Amino acid sequence: MSRDTVLGRVRAALAAARTQGAAHGTSAAPMELPALPAAGTLADPVGLFVERGRAVAATVEVCASADDAAAQAAAWLAARGARRLVAWDDPAIWAVAAQLAARGFEIAGPGAPVDVVAQADAGLTGAAWGIAESASLVLPADPRRPRLFSLLPPLHVAVLRADRIVADLPAWFARLAEGGPGGAGLPGAGAGAGTALPSALALVTGPSRSADIGLVPVQGAHGPVDVAVLVVMRP
Amino acid sequence: MSGAQAATTGHAGHPPGAGAGQQAPPPRIDMRGNLARALHDPALQTALGRALPGFRRMRADAVAEMPEWEALRRLAAQIKDHALAHLDRYLEQLAAAVAAASGQVHWADDAAAARRLIVDLAQARGVRRVVKSKSMVTEEIGLNGALEAAGVRVVETDLGEYVLQLAGEPPSHLIAPMLHKPLEAVTDLFAARLGAPRYTRAEDLNRVARATLRGEFLAAEMGITGVNFAVAETGTLVLVENEGNARLVTARPRIHVAVMGIEKVLPRLADLGVFLRLLARSATGQRASVYVSLLTGPRRPGEPDGPEELHLVLVDNGRTRLLADGDLREALRCIRCGACLNVCPVFARAGGHAYGSVYAGPIGAVLTPALWGLAPAHELPFASTLCGACGEVCPVRIDLPRLLLELRARAVRAGLVDRPERLLARLWTFVMRSPTRLQLAGRVARVLQRPLVRHGRIDRLPPPLAGWTAHRSAPPLAAVPFRARWRRGHEPPEGGDRDMPAAGPFPARWRRGRRST
Repeated sequence: MSRDTVLGRVRAALAAARTQGAAHGTSAAPMELPALPAAGTLADPVGLFVERGRAVAATVEVCASADDAAAQAAAWLAARGARRLVAWDDPAIWAVAAQLAARGFEIAGPGAPVDVVAQADAGLTGAAWGIAESASLVLPADPRRPRLFSLLPPLHVAVLRADRIVADLPAWFARLAEGGPGGAGLPGAGAGAGTALPSALALVTGPSRSADIGLVPVQGAHGPVDVAVLVVMRP
Repeated sequence: MSGAQAATTGHAGHPPGAGAGQQAPPPRIDMRGNLARALHDPALQTALGRALPGFRRMRADAVAEMPEWEALRRLAAQIKDHALAHLDRYLEQLAAAVAAASGQVHWADDAAAARRLIVDLAQARGVRRVVKSKSMVTEEIGLNGALEAAGVRVVETDLGEYVLQLAGEPPSHLIAPMLHKPLEAVTDLFAARLGAPRYTRAEDLNRVARATLRGEFLAAEMGITGVNFAVAETGTLVLVENEGNARLVTARPRIHVAVMGIEKVLPRLADLGVFLRLLARSATGQRASVYVSLLTGPRRPGEPDGPEELHLVLVDNGRTRLLADGDLREALRCIRCGACLNVCPVFARAGGHAYGSVYAGPIGAVLTPALWGLAPAHELPFASTLCGACGEVCPVRIDLPRLLLELRARAVRAGLVDRPERLLARLWTFVMRSPTRLQLAGRVARVLQRPLVRHGRIDRLPPPLAGWTAHRSAPPLAAVPFRARWRRGHEPPEGGDRDMPAAGPFPARWRRGRRST
């Protein structure tokens, strides 16, 4: 009912504006949807991702292998006194998680109750993509990849495959549009525009921040105080 | 503080029509009075002076880094104009896509309908506690008051909005809602309302708010957000923020209600590649906001978090009125970045509350009268120097100076402008239409001004012109009018007219001045 009211008003408004435009002689042909900028390309996307990530106060390390990433993660977490982790069930981090467990970190998986997530020292996640222009991580949500793991703990460690770093947003949307199994690179991606997207995609750029109180920038407003991105060259 | 006093004569900070009493005519916004009070509020002036230059610098740096900036602005304007010209089609597509992703779509033609709808949703589901992330449209429709009246506890979770909610004040800036409030006020407020120690460092105060709000996120049954962009082709709702509170609001509570103005729809997912870049850089000078959430439907089977229900509320509340208005429609392109506020010399002195509406600054001076009627808000378009800075920074190229002028013209045509001002304008028009009348008027004025000129300037004009010299001196009319000199062929004036240099297209005094600089 109110749907028809609002849509009716929209149509009446558009018609009125067209009449007004015709009277003024200003109304042109219906505006076409313009073509969008081409996807960016970069000689060294990893290099830009590292530089831009550090610019937003994230820790970004390039790791030769999963072993290397595990060692880096262990050192970074230990330096911050972290012991209890929650981790996605993601092939990209299986090796890292296994090694962290072997080093004595307690790790809970996607089934962890919310109070365990809230009490955890750190969240360990993968990332479906990295966007070099802004050093953003793309975190999809699905049954094995809870949203809160990158949000409730004060520390967030993300493992990102180097070959998943694209130049910019247009490049990312172009890869998403390729669709199909493996093409979109999104876990659980199906066919069709709507269903190809997971229920939530978070683009995360550095630690949570705010400057609301006294215009003083602080990290860890509501989400992680610190974010580490481990870029793995040879997964 | 400024917030308590400067506002409309009625409810602070809500636009005409947002209050409960819809029948009564909306109170007139006393922009001139508010401005005068703001100018005499030293705390407000200090806060504005500290904040705005930094905002401007950060934006300018972020924009300078992108050679394609102007091309992106043009694209954004085209995409928005296209989406608005086919708004019926895109709204239907959006609604269908949201429904296909198992979301529920609701339509509200005005603020009251939107409030009723959301209160009903909350009550039907036994909701006692709501957490909200920052949303201008929910301010616009006065949602919090309606929920509280229905016995629902509502907590704002954006740090600035949370502080303002504790203080009982409306936001004063699109992006930095508590811009007008110094840190010391937060110390007092947290001590008084939360029993916190008297912390004086932002980090400590932030920690208090974070801990308090954590409990609210975990306990709330419903999360309410605005929407920055809604993608018609996928039914995706996009939320842009830095703190992470919008992610928490949409990840933890059982029900997510997203409220959006109908103008927020974008045709394609890839359009975000244009708008996200423009928004982050214009608003805060960031390359990307910390968190951008792309939400497509509620949680799916097997997912451990995310809302079980997703409701999208599409709000008109005056927007179709603007859509029908070909001369003003482009104001609906606005993406609420706040860049026009930060560069506006009037906003820099007035602050947000003086505009008496949720939407302040140049865009507010257009949106408030255009959405909810010129009569109560007709002073707003006059609160501008027409310097053009707002139009230059607008990421979607809204020609704000033109829109402000258009609204001024309408205010005059509607007889809303002060009588003396109207008479003066009419007199001016009459005089300027004939060279003889101009010459005559000049002669009369040169005689009349004699008793007023002191030390080569006029410090005080009599009514009805007194306003002109209230804060500045006026230059007197030249002893020999320019027209007379021109006719004489650029001769040097006889007598001591200090204003007029020696003859020639580049008088000697000007040349000297140029060389010396």
